[in-house]
Amino acid sequence: MASEVTLKNVDNACETAEEFTRVFYKQVDNSRHLTSKLYLDTGLLVWNGNGINGNDKIQKFLMDLPASNHVLKTLDAQPISENLVSNRLTYLIQACGDVTYQNDDVKKPFQQTFLIVAVEGKWKIASDCFRLQVPHSN
Amino acid sequence: MPKRGGKIRNWNNEHFEHDDRTHTNNTRRVSFKPGTNKGKNRFRWNDAAQVLLDGDIDMGASGGQGPNRKGFRGNRGRLSSPAPRPTKKKFIPGLLPWYQIIIPYGAKHDKEVVLRALLGFISPEVFIPHYYKINGNAAVFYVDDVKIAEKLFYADRKIVMSDGFKLVVIVRNSVPNVNVDANMKEKMKLAMAKRYNPATKALDLTKFHADSDLSDIFCALFRPIVMMAAIDIIAENIPDLEALNLNDNKLHGIEHMKVLSTKFKNLKILYLGDNRIPFLSSIDPLKSLPLVELYLKGNPLVNRFNDHDIYVSDVRKKFPKLARLDGVDLPPAIGFDVSEDVTLPPSQQSFLIDPAGQDLVRDFLTQYFAIYDSESRQPLLEAYHETATMSMAANYLTNDNRNIPTSRLNSYISNSRNIIRITERESRRRYLKTGRLQVVSFLSDLPKTKHDLMGFAVDLLVFTPAMIVLTMNGVYKEITVNGTPSRSFHRTFVIVPNSAGGFSITNDMLFVTNTTKEQDDASSSAPVAAPTAPAPAPGPAPGPAPDDTRRAVLASLRQQTGMNEHWSVNCLQETGWDFQRALFIFNQLQSEGKIPPEAFMN
Repeated sequence: MASEVTLKNVDNACETAEEFTRVFYKQVDNSRHLTSKLYLDTGLLVWNGNGINGNDKIQKFLMDLPASNHVLKTLDAQPISENLVSNRLTYLIQACGDVTYQNDDVKKPFQQTFLIVAVEGKWKIASDCFRLQVPHSN
Repeated sequence: MPKRGGKIRNWNNEHFEHDDRTHTNNTRRVSFKPGTNKGKNRFRWNDAAQVLLDGDIDMGASGGQGPNRKGFRGNRGRLSSPAPRPTKKKFIPGLLPWYQIIIPYGAKHDKEVVLRALLGFISPEVFIPHYYKINGNAAVFYVDDVKIAEKLFYADRKIVMSDGFKLVVIVRNSVPNVNVDANMKEKMKLAMAKRYNPATKALDLTKFHADSDLSDIFCALFRPIVMMAAIDIIAENIPDLEALNLNDNKLHGIEHMKVLSTKFKNLKILYLGDNRIPFLSSIDPLKSLPLVELYLKGNPLVNRFNDHDIYVSDVRKKFPKLARLDGVDLPPAIGFDVSEDVTLPPSQQSFLIDPAGQDLVRDFLTQYFAIYDSESRQPLLEAYHETATMSMAANYLTNDNRNIPTSRLNSYISNSRNIIRITERESRRRYLKTGRLQVVSFLSDLPKTKHDLMGFAVDLLVFTPAMIVLTMNGVYKEITVNGTPSRSFHRTFVIVPNSAGGFSITNDMLFVTNTTKEQDDASSSAPVAAPTAPAPAPGPAPGPAPDDTRRAVLASLRQQTGMNEHWSVNCLQETGWDFQRALFIFNQLQSEGKIPPEAFMN
């Protein structure tokens, strides 16, 4: 049986995921100029296979994307063993839904997975992997 | 306005019968009203019973004997009736300007004779009879002008033919029937070809139904079925169409024309003048066309505006890029300097935070999915850490209206840990599978699968000695007794080194949904690339990459593989200039000893 501490961490992962995605998509859709603050300075964004390293570059990349509107439909979260990430509380969050981009009313299904760590009382994104649901085989 | 139905529906049957209008058949006809029996072929309103018996029915232009005939009823001033009646029939134009002209017993005369008689009567007006044909004893044709229809309506029983009968003319508001078949499409295509100007990429379909090459079919673009056929033909033959003229086609509702914006990305000029488009909102379905020029003059919608400036401004709101409206250049609009560019950066098949992780990831996934796709998933116990956690969430695509058994995700949804839905703490704990036994037992209960490893998009996000995080995106086929439906998935593994020198999964998070149409189309058109194939299957033509990028990619590949330029270019062309994929293929072929020595000779 899992310990009570472990189970509470599961509860906490879920509640954090709910709060995190609420903040994250609000920022991306409405105040993108602030979004990179959610990433670690050394954070990684992989956007449809394009890797962007570091907070500054992520900010620039995000600003160049067309305006967006994300609607979350599916959310899941798991705790990751703390001793893997310098003893920091770390959660794996998977968010899926539909995104529409500026002037284009087509809802595109997307899937996004975050690795977030607690740093000095703030949740920061260590890695963010965003994928539109499109064919990949060429 | 006459309605279909009522007695009029019987009309054709009546006239398939023999002509009983003989001059000598006085015995059959009983006149209740002496002195009124002037014309034997007289049509009566009153003695309906008699009329029905004779089959000699007056259809007038009326919708029959019911209340519908209001506005059309009226005696001819010959039948004395005690009730006061309007003295003159009134012609009421219909919504669509197509009128069927029926000449009962017209078959007795040559087409030319009938037409000459009618033309003589309405002179100096002239008309073009469309689709003249004999139907039983009657001659039937169509006119597309309300004025002509009205004149012909008043020609009823005014023309005495050579046989002594007065020509009966029945006018109905009716559109010719049409069947869009291959033959008709071919004719439309030919008619379009001569109306197309390749230099300007402009297609002129003005008054298309009146095209001399389409005289024998009713090719009216205001009928959605015909318009859709026309759009299909254009899309097939002129996908890069830039200008389309649909002036004077009696277009009314154009909701179905919204497909224009998906089929013709370059359509910038659209003429819709002299049609019957009723409201400005009627053109909303065309809003996503990037129009720079639009012509709407001659539609009722234009007359709804008292103020022309408001009209222009309202049209511009719908088409912000419009520079010309109704043949008049518009002053440049003062807009806002906001980005209009909606293009997204191109996607890449894979991302590797560290190229050194490539072999490990490839080997790990190959082994993992070989077992996952096999008969038994039990051996996966080896792949998971003792305290591994696993969760799966599933959901349907938005606006997916397919209601077929294979698109149902029941076997996933019932175990889906979507915490938007699963809000109870206890349930959230329960849906998270903990410990390798629970995890593998859960995986074993999921449907049998066949993954397309070559089609995976793999992103390696973390690659350190202590931890590996990778995310996969792709499709798999479910192996069921009822077929092999495709699913799309997104899955993340957190992997750690184990004490035995191998690797174990500590976290496994899976999302399952249905494949989109694009994914289905891609997988059905893609060549089947078996992982053991000696060479990568050629993909579709790669999107053009800037030369600089290609040179850089080429240089990197040469450096990493030691292959010469020729072979490196070949390898990159095969993989659509995807560096990671080219490297992957190289490593695979190299390990199989399939790359010849000359590939490394400069």
